[in-house]
Amino acid sequence: MKRWWKELDRLLRGEATQGSVLGAGDFRIPVGGLLLMALTLAALYGVCMGFFAGFRDGGPVFLQWLAGTLKVPALFFLTLVVTFPSLYVFNALVGSRLSFAAVFQLLVAALAVNVAVLASLGPIVAFFSVSTTSYPFILLLNVLVFITAGVFGFTFMLRILRGLWGARGQMASTSPIRELEKPESQGGNELTLNAMAEETTAVSLANRGPIIDRRVKNVFVCWMVVAGLVCAQMSWVLRPILGKPTEAFHWFSPRESNFFEAVWDAFRTLLS
Amino acid sequence: MSTLLGRIDVILRSRQAVQERPSASALLWTVGCIAFFGFLYGAVMGAFGGIGGERLWQVLYSAVKVPLLLLGTSLIAWPSFLVLNTLAGLRDDFARATAALLAAQAGLVIVLASLAPLTIVWYASSGSYPDALRFNGAMFAIAALAGQWLLRDHYRLLVERDSRHRWMFWTWLALFIFVAIQMAWVMRPFIGDPSAPTEFFRRDKWGNAYLVVARLIYHAVVR
Repeated sequence: MKRWWKELDRLLRGEATQGSVLGAGDFRIPVGGLLLMALTLAALYGVCMGFFAGFRDGGPVFLQWLAGTLKVPALFFLTLVVTFPSLYVFNALVGSRLSFAAVFQLLVAALAVNVAVLASLGPIVAFFSVSTTSYPFILLLNVLVFITAGVFGFTFMLRILRGLWGARGQMASTSPIRELEKPESQGGNELTLNAMAEETTAVSLANRGPIIDRRVKNVFVCWMVVAGLVCAQMSWVLRPILGKPTEAFHWFSPRESNFFEAVWDAFRTLLS
Repeated sequence: MSTLLGRIDVILRSRQAVQERPSASALLWTVGCIAFFGFLYGAVMGAFGGIGGERLWQVLYSAVKVPLLLLGTSLIAWPSFLVLNTLAGLRDDFARATAALLAAQAGLVIVLASLAPLTIVWYASSGSYPDALRFNGAMFAIAALAGQWLLRDHYRLLVERDSRHRWMFWTWLALFIFVAIQMAWVMRPFIGDPSAPTEFFRRDKWGNAYLVVARLIYHAVVR
């Protein structure tokens, strides 16, 4: 746990994404540990968010508090699961040399930064949740906090992409996919020679051009917008995360309306 | 006594108030300074209704609330400030930045405490509660401006070292003000209306400062 915490700290400090590291095509992070850290921090934010249900006028609703604590990590995890496959496919389609593992590492790193910012804003949300009874206000505050954290996550990803764009690294030539493509030594002379020729071309290309180009960067930018929209709608699917004070506790709500309509309604009722 | 005055002087004149590597004892001293001078002004502020009988409790409540307002707000805003500094690549300077924030707050309460005699004179010359509210608001505004001035001064060296500290300076102000307004709202009453019973918090009247202001503006404009 301490090691993963240090890794997260390294990531936040920018040591894992320095120009020299990316330039060498050596962007490597412990994905499993960092993902676990991110989900823990998301749960921590869920606890802060749950203060609204815990300090409700009619008495605390502990199940809602628990539901929020579980649903916030679920929200991020499910968004990652839903959006990752399409990102990898389009990334490969436009000719990026980022491997499956590299794309996943990149996303987990951005998610970790996003959730770290979110959790750091948790005490502010908890304070407002304890001192405010207005549901629309807390809803909009949480939306604002999620957007702020998301912007940091996206900015972090863009920074890495910029680094990779400029990097003429060996990431592609040493990627897990390339390793799998390497021929077996007993595969026959012709096959081995052809494979060697391909390998040589790949290595020379890797050493010549950047790891990603403008098209790949555009795919990532589009994906960021899509991931934001998916995350927003996912929160709607998982509702109630905060829990309306006027409604009895229930784990999930029936299908109706959408996230954006709900936010607009909250904004209107806030002032009425 | 001379040591205490010397330290206060250092904070107010911004001379070496923030060390390159601030020690834990120096930070603790600054926190103690905030607690002491905040307590002092708070006690004066809470004396509007007198200091006899039950009103003495209001004096004590207000004395506790002023340092609590500043330190509590800082504590709530601090984690996000830490993460944002780290993300901006300024983590190595963070201890110094924290020391600068605390020194500025210490400066704020020292200014506030120096204005306490004026508040006493005001209380002695006017019995109007709304006027006392406005006067204290003005005192806090003056002290807050002085605090912001000191913070800029303490941050100058950091900004010279790395211009990204300028962004962090404004980020801190935004975070601090956002939380402080609600904190002050929640902690009402600070002065204590003499016609109302003495209480630490206004029970059932917590609400939300932003909502109240937004509704006031909305109703003033739309209706």
